[in-house]
Amino acid sequence: MTAILEVQGVKKSYSLGKVLVPALQNVSFNVKEGEFLTIFGPSGSGKSTLLHLIGCLDRPDEGEIFIGGLNVLKLSDDKLAELRLTRIGFIFQFFNLLPRLTALKNVELPLTIAGVPEKEAVNIAEEMLKLVGLEARMNHKPYELSGGEQQRVAIARALINNPKIVLADEPTGNLDTKTGWETVQFMKKLNEEKGQTFIVVTHDPHIAETADRIIHLKDGLIEGIKEAPRRNKQ
Amino acid sequence: MKLTRLMTMALENLKQRKLRTSLTTLGVVIGITTIIALASLGEGFRFDVKKRMEQGFELNVLIIFPGSFMAGLGPGFNRTDVDAIRSVDNVSLVTPLVTMPTAELHNVNDTKLGAFTVGGINFTEMQEMLPERFRLMSGGHFPTVDENKSIILGYRASILNDTVVAKVEDNVTLMLKDRYGRIFYNATFKVAGILEEGGTSGITNFDYWAFIPAETALKMPGVEGYQIILAKVADTKYSEHVAKGIRSKFSEYSITVFVPSSLMRQVDNILNIIQIFLMAIASISLLVAGVGIMNIMTVAVMERTREIGIMKAIGAKSRTILGMFLAEAALVGVIGGLIGVPTGYGLSFALANTLSTLIQSSQQTTSVVQPSQTERMMINPLFSLEWTIIAFAFAIIVCIIFGLYPARKAAKLNPVEALRYE
Repeated sequence: MTAILEVQGVKKSYSLGKVLVPALQNVSFNVKEGEFLTIFGPSGSGKSTLLHLIGCLDRPDEGEIFIGGLNVLKLSDDKLAELRLTRIGFIFQFFNLLPRLTALKNVELPLTIAGVPEKEAVNIAEEMLKLVGLEARMNHKPYELSGGEQQRVAIARALINNPKIVLADEPTGNLDTKTGWETVQFMKKLNEEKGQTFIVVTHDPHIAETADRIIHLKDGLIEGIKEAPRRNKQ
Repeated sequence: MKLTRLMTMALENLKQRKLRTSLTTLGVVIGITTIIALASLGEGFRFDVKKRMEQGFELNVLIIFPGSFMAGLGPGFNRTDVDAIRSVDNVSLVTPLVTMPTAELHNVNDTKLGAFTVGGINFTEMQEMLPERFRLMSGGHFPTVDENKSIILGYRASILNDTVVAKVEDNVTLMLKDRYGRIFYNATFKVAGILEEGGTSGITNFDYWAFIPAETALKMPGVEGYQIILAKVADTKYSEHVAKGIRSKFSEYSITVFVPSSLMRQVDNILNIIQIFLMAIASISLLVAGVGIMNIMTVAVMERTREIGIMKAIGAKSRTILGMFLAEAALVGVIGGLIGVPTGYGLSFALANTLSTLIQSSQQTTSVVQPSQTERMMINPLFSLEWTIIAFAFAIIVCIIFGLYPARKAAKLNPVEALRYE
């Protein structure tokens, strides 16, 4: 399988007041298409920063990132937005649904941004919500849904444009253990059925262990990359 | 994102914050209402003034006086002067007037008639010159060439305190007095006809005049030449040109040519300036509304920082975010306009009613003579498509301009920071 993502010598630091805090120092790794990868590490290890860089939400200070062979550093902000829209799906710890929109409208949003006609967008969004098992809750607003349901809406939104890469930033961080586990299993199922590449950031070793590969991140450096057999333990 | 989707999304966003949206829109409504109300009142006023001036002046008739405002009144014109004017290009008709401001008219009972001046004219030419004003009431006729001792009375000259003091076929005595009040001439004239009531108009009110044949007037002692010459131009557009032509026939400052159409144009210009001035003042209220929009949108951008971050994370371009906020601003302008335009016209009618009542009551108390119905000042607001479009467009433009700063702020947000925003 070819590498869908290549990260080469990526460095990124943040300025906190006058102090420059290094978040990532020389990080390199590849991700194969269809892989289920976890980035594991304690908080402050640079996991989220790395995910933001991979997700084209931010640009590294140094190093290069290739997505599907495309050097993202050479792309304009508009092109990056387009890349996020068409090739990347985001799942967040705090779900990040728009509170004023119904589940359906939230899922529909990327299609709306892409300019898909409304009728068609609604159909696709309904299909997506069926896939995540929320067809009965489509017209509920986020605050009327449980945490697990909200995260499933977020997953549906992340998948609606049929992205090559799905990025999840602590997707279970705001869920109870059982729901969190179910969510991860659901993502794994999608990964197996649809062949989409998943990169999941987590600080939970149990969840990290479910991946094909685990990248251990500590203080902005890769401590080790561990090949893990797929295990479905509870 | 498509524009229609952008607009529906903007509308949904606005609906989510009903109170805030209504208050912001209210500012725009007030601005538009003020502009529309003042514009339609101004247009109505302008229309009224123009109409009055058109009624008051025959726009194609130039009025020529001997002398000038600078050098004082000169001696009267003679036939040569009249012919000189007649020879100017595009002059279709010329008629001279003799005026006798010291003349007094008395009826058979020696009651003084209300004519303040007697004019000596050529009746045929005058009828052709001012057909609207030279209309006789029934029973009268304009004197023929032979009837050199006939007189035509203005409507008010024949009436004193609501009583008819002279009628057709009556004899009246015309007296000329010197500066000490001594009568040095008198003659009896027969009333041939009475003019229809014309009302105040232009530079004089013929209701208070009386007219005798010019030939008769010129033979009277103390009368020297013509004091006024009226010249009709073939088309109003030649007025200025003809006036120049007439002036060139005389030495500098020896005559004054009064051109009603240029006066009219000046008045129109002045009214235009007043109108624009009023609009400028009214526009300030719309600008204030714009500041309100900017304020509320800046707050909204802050509140929606996270939402903007999410939108960007899932692939919205900066210009999509910009468009989203600008669409909301523009919608406020559109809604404000839709409400403000009819409200503005409503207000202008209410104001016009109040103003007209005020003006009428002040006329009744200040005017000695009860003004006739036609003289009453009435302001009728006029619907002006031009101003409606301008006001509407202005509202939307103001909203967009003031929305631009917060919208740009939203568009420029860094998605990572925006997502982290609590």
